[in-house]
Amino acid sequence: MVQPAQNEAVERLKCNWCQGMNLKTALSCQFCGAPLDLKDVVSESGWREAPRLKDMTEFHFFNSTCQVEGEIVPVAEINLAQGDGIYFEHHVMLWKDPTVPMTVLQLPGGMKRVLAGMPFIISVAQGPGRVAFSRDATGELVVLPLHPGMELDVREHAFLLASANITYSFERIKGLRNILFGGHGMYMDRFVTANQSGLLLLHGYGNVFERMLKPGESILVEPGAFLYKDSSVQMNVQMQQLTTGLFGGSAMSLAQVIGPGRVGIQSMYVHHATE
Amino acid sequence: MSATPPVTPGRSYTCNWCGAVSDGTSLSCPSCGATINVKEIVTPTGWIEMPGRKDMAKLQIGKSSCQIEGLYVPAADFNLAPEDGVYFAHHVLLWKENSVNITMMSMKGAWKRAFAGMPIFMTQAKGPGHIAFSRDLPGELLALPLQPGQAVDVREHFLLVATDQVDYGWTNTNIWFNTRNGDETETHYPLGMYLDRFSASRMPGLLLLHASGNVFVRQLAPGQSILIKPTALIFKDPTVSMQLHFEHPHSGWNLWMSYIQRYLWLRVTGPGRIAIQSAFEPVEDNGQTITNHSPATQQQW
Repeated sequence: MVQPAQNEAVERLKCNWCQGMNLKTALSCQFCGAPLDLKDVVSESGWREAPRLKDMTEFHFFNSTCQVEGEIVPVAEINLAQGDGIYFEHHVMLWKDPTVPMTVLQLPGGMKRVLAGMPFIISVAQGPGRVAFSRDATGELVVLPLHPGMELDVREHAFLLASANITYSFERIKGLRNILFGGHGMYMDRFVTANQSGLLLLHGYGNVFERMLKPGESILVEPGAFLYKDSSVQMNVQMQQLTTGLFGGSAMSLAQVIGPGRVGIQSMYVHHATE
Repeated sequence: MSATPPVTPGRSYTCNWCGAVSDGTSLSCPSCGATINVKEIVTPTGWIEMPGRKDMAKLQIGKSSCQIEGLYVPAADFNLAPEDGVYFAHHVLLWKENSVNITMMSMKGAWKRAFAGMPIFMTQAKGPGHIAFSRDLPGELLALPLQPGQAVDVREHFLLVATDQVDYGWTNTNIWFNTRNGDETETHYPLGMYLDRFSASRMPGLLLLHASGNVFVRQLAPGQSILIKPTALIFKDPTVSMQLHFEHPHSGWNLWMSYIQRYLWLRVTGPGRIAIQSAFEPVEDNGQTITNHSPATQQQW
């Protein structure tokens, strides 16, 4: 993967989204595609919109490229170089060159994954050739270049693709109440980089917002809106009792996320019925 | 969309959408968030497109404010002042700060509402703090500031959030038809049994609705009527009357399923505003013979 240079700040532009360094003349980040000519869009409450990728934006990972096509349900078209690879859930594949070889990723804990309703088979595409991906609803592509030593937890079935050098595992959600009422299932996908950077693409439904939580800072989120978080962010279920005299009331489960670290949410959430 | 000359700071500006007067120094109307320096987009038939809204447009409601975030499935992020509050159906809550207290608000006519499939509880939130709402479909967010004495009828399940100053009631749609299959009679309500009625009595309030797809609004003159798909209706002024309309296209031969030979419409008659959404569900019609119905007109081609 092309490494962002850290010591050329004078001649280079730093991407606010992924921290990658770019040529001063660049209009979009070469590592994540974020527009470099636009300011961050941040709400007064501190949520930052995921960068809106311009149609046909291209960015690079290793010797391969990714072009983002369309804006309502964007497509990620990958031009894989020889020796490069990506993995993904097979139902997100939109089209491919017939010559692109396909294999299957060997996953530990197969039975657990089946029981948890997680994808049992993760497909792998190897270059050279082109292969394109999209999901099934209006939303945004979230490009997350992972720097060495990072761990990111992602809502199950939300990832679009990842570069082959990222380790894919799953993290069991702790606590029966979290499993039953958390709305995330039993497991979250966990993506880990060792000593090399990698590329992770998610598809968030609706609009995607990110917030950086300070140590101990917490916020309550609709469980179906949770999209991703740094592994340092804790997540627990908090039940909100809502009562009235006549009908006894109801309860609402919200996910309490506690910093430090990033948390990402999607505005078109997956709705989970409450009690 | 064509741009009008920039608004001169210091001169007042009247919003085309909600009629609020602002000082013209902001890019969006502080009452409804509509972009203020663009002309309305009006079709030759008189449908007005929802005014464009800039991402992060901010609405001011007394001491509280609301920021509209995102474009595909916009989220309404309220910054509630102490003592200010909003109410909402609980499944639209996106996130909230710990400081915002949420409780249950009981509704009048709960049994009737439950029978009609309408929400019988509303959740209410009190400031201070931030709380945000969104729905689960791509579409547009409509901001309807209500002045004292003003009311609007909204099809059920369109409410995103309303401020405490807005009263919440309901009214019978009186839009129905019966079909018979053997000995069984089924009653259909193409609009639902009830419409939500939101009104402001003594204080101005803000109503936020979420519609699927794009939103178009039309002002009907007294006596002017138009046919719309029942499931496309979002809201109407209480002065707009409604009835069913059955349309039978000309056909030289009969098909075994009669619904293929009828279109079911909602006739809306002015005076007043109506709003429709471009993404709407199919109208339920089982194709059986209609045995009875609410007041309706018919057209046989």
